[in-house]
Amino acid sequence: MSSTVLTDSRWIARGAERTSFSRFLAWLAPWSAMLTLGVYAAFLCLYRGLNQTNMDNRFAFGLWIFLDLGIIALGAGAFFTGFLVYILKRAELRPILNTAVVVGFICYSGAVAILMIDVGQPLRAWFTFWHPNTHSMLTEVTFCISCYLLVLCLEYIPILLRNRQLRRLPSFLVFEHQLHNLVPVLAGIGTFLSFFHQGSLGGLYGVLRGRPFAFRHGFFIWPSTFFLFILSAIATGPSFLMLVTATVEKVTGKQLVPQDVFRRLGFISGILLGIYVAAKSIDTLIWLNFTSPAEGFAPWTYYIHKPFGTPVLFAEIVLFGLIPAFLLLYRKTAAHRGWLFSAAALACIGVLMNRFVLTVQTLALPTLPFDDFLTYTPSWQEVASFGGVIAYGVIVYSLSYRYLSLFPQPKGEDAHVPRS
Amino acid sequence: MSARYGMVIDLDRCTGCGACMMACAAENNVPPLPQASARTGLTPLLVRKVSNGLEGSDRREVFIPILCMHCEYDTPCVHVCPQQAVEVDKATGIVMQMPQRCLGCRYCMTACPYHARYFNWWDPAWPKGMEKSLNPGVATRMRGVVEKCNLCHARLHAAKEKAAAAGKREIDPADYVPACVEACPARAIRFGNLADPKDPVAQESQSQDAFRLLAKLGTEPKIYYKSKEPWVQAMAEPNSGPIVEAKHV
Amino acid sequence: MFPGVDGFHWTAGHIIFLCLFFAVVLTIALTVISAMRRTIGDFRSHRAIDLCWHADFADLPATDRRCRHELAGRVISRICPNAFDCRNCDKYSEFAVLPAKGMTHDLGLNYSSDRFYHRAHTWVKPEEDGTVTIGLDEFADHLIGRPDSVKLPGIGSEIDLNQSAWQMKKNGKEISVRAPIEGTVIAVGGPKENWYLKLRPRMDVRDPKTLRHLLRGPEVYGWLSRELERLQLQLGAPDAAPTLADGGMLMPNLMDTVPRADWNTVLADTFLEV
Repeated sequence: MSSTVLTDSRWIARGAERTSFSRFLAWLAPWSAMLTLGVYAAFLCLYRGLNQTNMDNRFAFGLWIFLDLGIIALGAGAFFTGFLVYILKRAELRPILNTAVVVGFICYSGAVAILMIDVGQPLRAWFTFWHPNTHSMLTEVTFCISCYLLVLCLEYIPILLRNRQLRRLPSFLVFEHQLHNLVPVLAGIGTFLSFFHQGSLGGLYGVLRGRPFAFRHGFFIWPSTFFLFILSAIATGPSFLMLVTATVEKVTGKQLVPQDVFRRLGFISGILLGIYVAAKSIDTLIWLNFTSPAEGFAPWTYYIHKPFGTPVLFAEIVLFGLIPAFLLLYRKTAAHRGWLFSAAALACIGVLMNRFVLTVQTLALPTLPFDDFLTYTPSWQEVASFGGVIAYGVIVYSLSYRYLSLFPQPKGEDAHVPRS
Repeated sequence: MSARYGMVIDLDRCTGCGACMMACAAENNVPPLPQASARTGLTPLLVRKVSNGLEGSDRREVFIPILCMHCEYDTPCVHVCPQQAVEVDKATGIVMQMPQRCLGCRYCMTACPYHARYFNWWDPAWPKGMEKSLNPGVATRMRGVVEKCNLCHARLHAAKEKAAAAGKREIDPADYVPACVEACPARAIRFGNLADPKDPVAQESQSQDAFRLLAKLGTEPKIYYKSKEPWVQAMAEPNSGPIVEAKHV
Repeated sequence: MFPGVDGFHWTAGHIIFLCLFFAVVLTIALTVISAMRRTIGDFRSHRAIDLCWHADFADLPATDRRCRHELAGRVISRICPNAFDCRNCDKYSEFAVLPAKGMTHDLGLNYSSDRFYHRAHTWVKPEEDGTVTIGLDEFADHLIGRPDSVKLPGIGSEIDLNQSAWQMKKNGKEISVRAPIEGTVIAVGGPKENWYLKLRPRMDVRDPKTLRHLLRGPEVYGWLSRELERLQLQLGAPDAAPTLADGGMLMPNLMDTVPRADWNTVLADTFLEV
C-alpha cells in the first residue's frame, strides 16, 4: 500500500471491506453540507428567537415536536432489541444489536438536540430536574429521556472502544470488557425507562382535558394513549431497524445480517402491530362514542375540515396499520423481500402519521365555538434544522459503519467464540 | 378565609372599544411588537368579534373579551407544566404564571382550551422614550417564556400593602381592581370574590343569563359571561347551534 | 414545589417518582463505577492483558485460530476455544497423547528441540538458572530482515503473556511482538544478538504446565508448514494461481525483496494482531 495516498486504513478493522477514503469523503460531503445548513438554522433560532419559526400562539407545537415524537418512536428498536436479546435471551437477534444501539443513539441525541432549540429558554432545562411536577407527563418524559440517552451512550461506548486503534489502549479494552459484561443491567434499565417515556409521550396528549380531540380516559393516571404509544413504538421500532439495515446492505452491496433476522423482526413487528391496531380501534370507538361527547364535542365535527377528513383516520388505522400487520404476518408475503420491506415502510409511516395526528391535528382543530380551523407551514429554519438532524444521523451511522464493527460476522466454523 | 376572584363579563354591554386591552397592555408592560401578526401577538386580554353566521338583517355580532379563565378544577396548565412555573394561589384562586421559571416549552399553551396563553416570540422592546411609561410594579418578561393574565396581581399586592399600612388584615375590595375592569367605559367587565355570597359579582355569576365557555370540559373556569341573547348563550357549548365565525378586532 | 419552599407537602406521587428516579440513576452510576473498579482490579491482578488478548483473539480470522493439535495432525479440524491458553484447556491431556504427524520434508527453517515456540513467532529457551531467553524465530526473522528500529522494554519491567513485549519498525510498518511467557525482564538483547529478552518467569519453568501453551517437537513442523503455505499465497502475485513449491527455502529479507506485497495483512497474520 502506497503511503502517499491519504488513507484511514489504520482505523478500519482488518478484513473489513470498506470503500476508499476519498469515496467515503465524497459520500459525507452532501450530508455535511446539510448538517451545516441545519446548524446555521438552529443558530438563527437560538440567536434571534423562536420568531424564526412559523409557530404561533395557536400552533405552539409544530414540525419539530411532531418529528421528535416520530424519531423517538422509530428509535424504540434499540431498547426493544436489547430487551429481546438480553432479558428474553433471544440470541438470534444478536447480529442486529450493535446497529440497533447506534440507531437508537442517533434518534435520541437528535431528538434532544432539536428539543433544546425548540424551547424558549434552553439554559433553563435543568429547572425541570430541580422543580419537578410529578403530575406532568412532560416531567416524566424529561427525566426518562435524559437517563435513557445516558444509557444509550453507555451502550455505545463498548462498540466505540473496540475500534481497531482505540482498542490498542489496554485500559480501553479492559473497560469495554467489563462494561460489556454489565450490559444486561443497562438493557434492563433501558427497557424500564423506554416503557415509561414512550408511554408518557402519549400521555402528553391523552391528559389534555382542554383538547377533546386528544383527551382519553385510561387506567389510573395513565390515559389510553400512554399504552397505545408504547405498543406502536415497539411495533414499528423493529420495522425501522429492518429498513435501516436493508438500506445499508443496498448501499454497501453486502449481506450484513443473516436473512433470518429480517424475517424474525418482521414477525415481531407484525404481531405487535396487530395488537396495536386492535387496541387502537377499541380506543377510537370508545373515544368517538363516550369520551368526546361527554366533553360536549360531537366527534364527527373534527373531521369536517379538509384535508383532515375521516380518510385520515381510516388511513392511520387501516392503510398504515392493519394492512402492514397482515402483510408482515401472512406467510406468503412475509417470505417475499419486497412485500416484507414495503410492509415495514407502511408501518413506519403509520406511526409517523399517528404522531402527526396527535400533535398537529390536535392544535389545528378549534376548541372555542368561534375558533377557526388553522393551518401552519413550517419555516425553512425548522425544516433545515431537522434536515440537519437527519444529516447528523447519516454521518454518525456512516462513521460507525466504517470504523466500528456494527455487523459482527460469524468467524469461520466457530461463530460464537466464547469470551472469558 | 380564602378568596376566589373571578369576573362576570356582560356581553350585552361590551362595545368592542378595546379600552380593556389597552389598559391591560399598559398595566402589564406588554411590548408593542409591531412585527407581530394576529397569531403571534401578545394580548393577555383579547377582545374577539363573533357573529351568528347569518347575513343581512338576521346577522348579529357580539364582542367577547377572552382572558385567562383561572380554572379551578385540575387546572390544565398547572397540571402539565414540567417545572411548576404556574400554580393556583390558594388564597386568591388566581392562576399565577412565573415567567422567571418558565422554560418556554409551550406545553401549557397546547393544554389551554381557551387559548389564553401567549408566548414571547421576540425580545421585548419599546420605542425610545416609551420605557418611561412602564409600570414599575410589574416585571417585564424576556423572550422565550409564556405569559398570561394574572388578574393584575401587582394591584392585589398594592392593596395588601395599603391594608397592612393601615393595620388591617383584609384588603378593601375597592382597592383591588384589575386594569381592564377599571378601564371599561361600559362597565361590562365586573370583578369580585366568587367565594363571598354577599359579593354582587358572585350573585350575578349564578344568575340564569350567566354561562361559562366550554364548561363541559370540567375545568371550572372563574370567568363568567352574561347575555340575554339565546344565540350568545349557545356559545357555552361548542357543538350546539350553528358554527359561528370569528374575526379579530 | 420543592422541599423547604413554603406550600410544599409530600404526596405519594412525589415519593414514588423520586424513588424510581433515584433508583434508576443509582443503578446506572453503580454500573459504571462497578465497571471501572473491575477494570482497575484487572490491572492490579495482571488479568488486564489476558482480557485484551481474549478480545483480540476473538476478532482474529478463523485461519489464525486453529488449535495446535490440528496443526500437529492429532485432530482433523478444531478452532481453539481458549485463546491458545493450553494451560487451562480441559481437552489438552486428551489430545496431547494422540500421535502427531511426522515431518514429510525439510522446510528450510531452523527450529530446535530445546526451544519452545509461541504462535506469534517467538521462541523460549529455558536456562539452567530458572530464567528464560526469548528470541524471534527464523520465520519472522526472514520476513523482517534487519529492522529499522527496535524498542525494547526496560530492565525490571513486568511483562504479561501475549502482551506487546517489544516493538520494531521496518519500512514504515510497525510490528508488535507478543510475549510468549510472563515474567520480569532481567536483560535485553537485540537484532545483533540472536536473542531479544531474558526474563525471570513468574511461574516455575520446572513445572510442565508453565510451558504447556508453547509448541515443541513435531508440532512446530505442522505449524510452520501451514505458515509457509499462508505466506506463499499472500506474497505471490495477486492474479497468479497459487503454486505449491516443493522443497523451496524461505529467502531472508522478504520485506525488502518483495516490497509490493500486502505487508499489513502478512504481518498481522504472522504476529497475531487484529
